[in-house]
Amino acid sequence: MDFFELITDPIDITSVARRVVPPGCGATVTLDGYARKYTKDKESGEVRETQYLVYEAYEPMAIKEMEKLIDAAKQQFEIANVGIVHRLGRLEIGETSVVISVAAPHRKPAFAACEWLIRELKRTVPIWKKEVFADGEEWIEGDSQAEVPQP
Amino acid sequence: MNIKVLFFGATADITGQRHVEVPIEPETTASEVSKSLITEYPRLASHKLHISLNQQYANGEEIVRDGDELAIFTAVSGG
Repeated sequence: MDFFELITDPIDITSVARRVVPPGCGATVTLDGYARKYTKDKESGEVRETQYLVYEAYEPMAIKEMEKLIDAAKQQFEIANVGIVHRLGRLEIGETSVVISVAAPHRKPAFAACEWLIRELKRTVPIWKKEVFADGEEWIEGDSQAEVPQP
Repeated sequence: MNIKVLFFGATADITGQRHVEVPIEPETTASEVSKSLITEYPRLASHKLHISLNQQYANGEEIVRDGDELAIFTAVSGG
């Protein structure tokens, strides 16, 4: 069974990974994305030290977009089940922000689908990350929105 | 006629609002609503903005209707 959730409690990675396992599968690939302390500014090259992160979502639309991603992944890859759980609210450094688990009969499509899912999630699912530094804070704006319609 | 406009993250900080009710004329497009809010909150113009209408990405040409839910936000950054 597929699932897609937004939660504010810490994510239990193992339980997400095991929930996707059906009898016909042989491998689950799980991405554990977590809050990074050091971020290099792409323009200045300056390294900034993050104190903590805050995630916010347009929740009903984010749920719909996650469901669409899972449907699209299942069309493209030989996979069985997908689970996506994204955390919202304040996250300390090292805490898990997103888990994507993909179960498949064989590992190769599971790896490919997991990579595709995180790339698309970062591009299309309406969730925003704020980085908080010692001397300020900034809402991060994603890189590539080329295929998302523009206003 | 009124629509509800939602803001998130950077756009919520700029406008100081999470949602506003906006009166609309018949045949108003999503991008016309967006432009009127940029006029009201000029700092929005310094960001690349995206629009959704009723929780679907919008290209701006859609005609908005009474009770619609429009959202204006910067490029998403989850993950």
